[in-house]
Amino acid sequence: MIAGTMVIDFHGHVGKQNCMGLIDDPNEMLRAMDAVGIDKSCVFNVFHPDGRTGNDLTARFVEAHPDRFIGFAYVSPLMPDTMAPELERAFDSLGMRAIKIYPPYTPFPLDHPIWDPIYDFAHRRGLPIISHTGIEPTAAPRFLSQVAPRFPGASFVAGHSGNVEPPRSQAIQAARSYPNVYLETCSTFRSPGVVEELVQKAGAERVLFGSDTPLMDPRSQIGKILTADIGDQAKRQILGENACRLLGI
Amino acid sequence: MTTLNFRAQVPVFDANVGVGHRRDRVSPFETRDQLLEEMNRHGVDRALIYHLQGEALSALEGNESLSTWVEGQSALQPQWVADPTPESLAQLQQLHRAKQLTSVRLHNTEECRLPFVDWIYGELLEWLAAEHIPLWLSLVDTPAVEVRDTLRRLPDLVTVLLGAHYAHYAVVGPLLRQLPNAHLELSRYEGLEKLQPLIDEFGIERLVYGSFYPRYAMGPILFLIHHLGLDPSALAILCAGNLERIVGDRKTP
Repeated sequence: MIAGTMVIDFHGHVGKQNCMGLIDDPNEMLRAMDAVGIDKSCVFNVFHPDGRTGNDLTARFVEAHPDRFIGFAYVSPLMPDTMAPELERAFDSLGMRAIKIYPPYTPFPLDHPIWDPIYDFAHRRGLPIISHTGIEPTAAPRFLSQVAPRFPGASFVAGHSGNVEPPRSQAIQAARSYPNVYLETCSTFRSPGVVEELVQKAGAERVLFGSDTPLMDPRSQIGKILTADIGDQAKRQILGENACRLLGI
Repeated sequence: MTTLNFRAQVPVFDANVGVGHRRDRVSPFETRDQLLEEMNRHGVDRALIYHLQGEALSALEGNESLSTWVEGQSALQPQWVADPTPESLAQLQQLHRAKQLTSVRLHNTEECRLPFVDWIYGELLEWLAAEHIPLWLSLVDTPAVEVRDTLRRLPDLVTVLLGAHYAHYAVVGPLLRQLPNAHLELSRYEGLEKLQPLIDEFGIERLVYGSFYPRYAMGPILFLIHHLGLDPSALAILCAGNLERIVGDRKTP
């Protein structure tokens, strides 16, 4: 908790990419969370296109600390036949709470019909989907403006808020245009004024704190919110209130 | 306990702040007062500043432009940019004779498409080592293998390596082992629990706080450093003491 607000980190990883220092040691992740008052971190594993392998690892990871981690399901259109059944398994048997997708690992842009079964699943069940967005051709946030109105029951979260310009402006535009688009803050590009811009242009109620833990330390990423030149109520919304609403907490 | 707002709790001397506009990137601040206001918002007392135009385009012109930022302002300490040309070396030598040179920053080698090798940069580097002037250089722009191979020939040259990132995670430790006079600036080094192993192996004296402002926001890494669980004296060393030692400045008790 920070100043009485439950803090939820909407972007974290399970898995290992050692050369980048991404190692999912729960003790290290919890220590960093505790140091700054992060109550819960949302985690997913994007390293296995079958979905099942990574989702099982995520479920096991969450199971060890169910009060601190929230599992998100991952599926990939590289193995399209597995997507719908794996999502059903992940939500109905493993207790996942949202969906993660990662277009840069695929040749398919976010508005390609091959993603539709995922969007339709989220639409029917009223789930959030967080997608990596950025400069990668398949991950341009402008595609969210194509899919968000087609699946109004789903909430689309632009991971990294597009990371840099011009994708950042595309993400903001999508959030301004459609009430089911949200902007998540983690980024290795910590450009000054970005959090302020997201709040000013899209509204604090549409911005979610995320860190990319353990690739990045949640302490520096939450520092982006706490050192931003925005009001305290906006910080509370970004740190946790919006995520609680989206996840039904 | 974390609160909704943050200011540094110890004196802070930022090792990495650029001023002025680049030809391809407009700075969020126009004036010295605006920079000082942003520093004050985060509790940053002083900053080592260089001119962004000097780093990216012309060391000579950038250094000339820097003078107006630092005159009569003790919170801003100048850092002069160097490139491998004779004109640049002559400018630095003139500044040194005028006792204005406490550190030098290597220009952006990538922008000039120059490899950082001894046969191009050797004269500059040997002069810096002989005069005990520390050199800042960016791992963002200069390949680590060139940094290692070139600096190994100059064991007396004190350096500060800027902008190491999670992509450098497997490089940083070996580089600090290979270069005993190298220090690591922390503006982009934000992997989970990646600082403590460096402190344990190399000592906190090898690490330096810098923000990389305005390329990066000024506050987040300062916030991270304040929440590492360091004792106040170690925090003060990291936030200011090491930089003061490197540039020969003892303003903070």
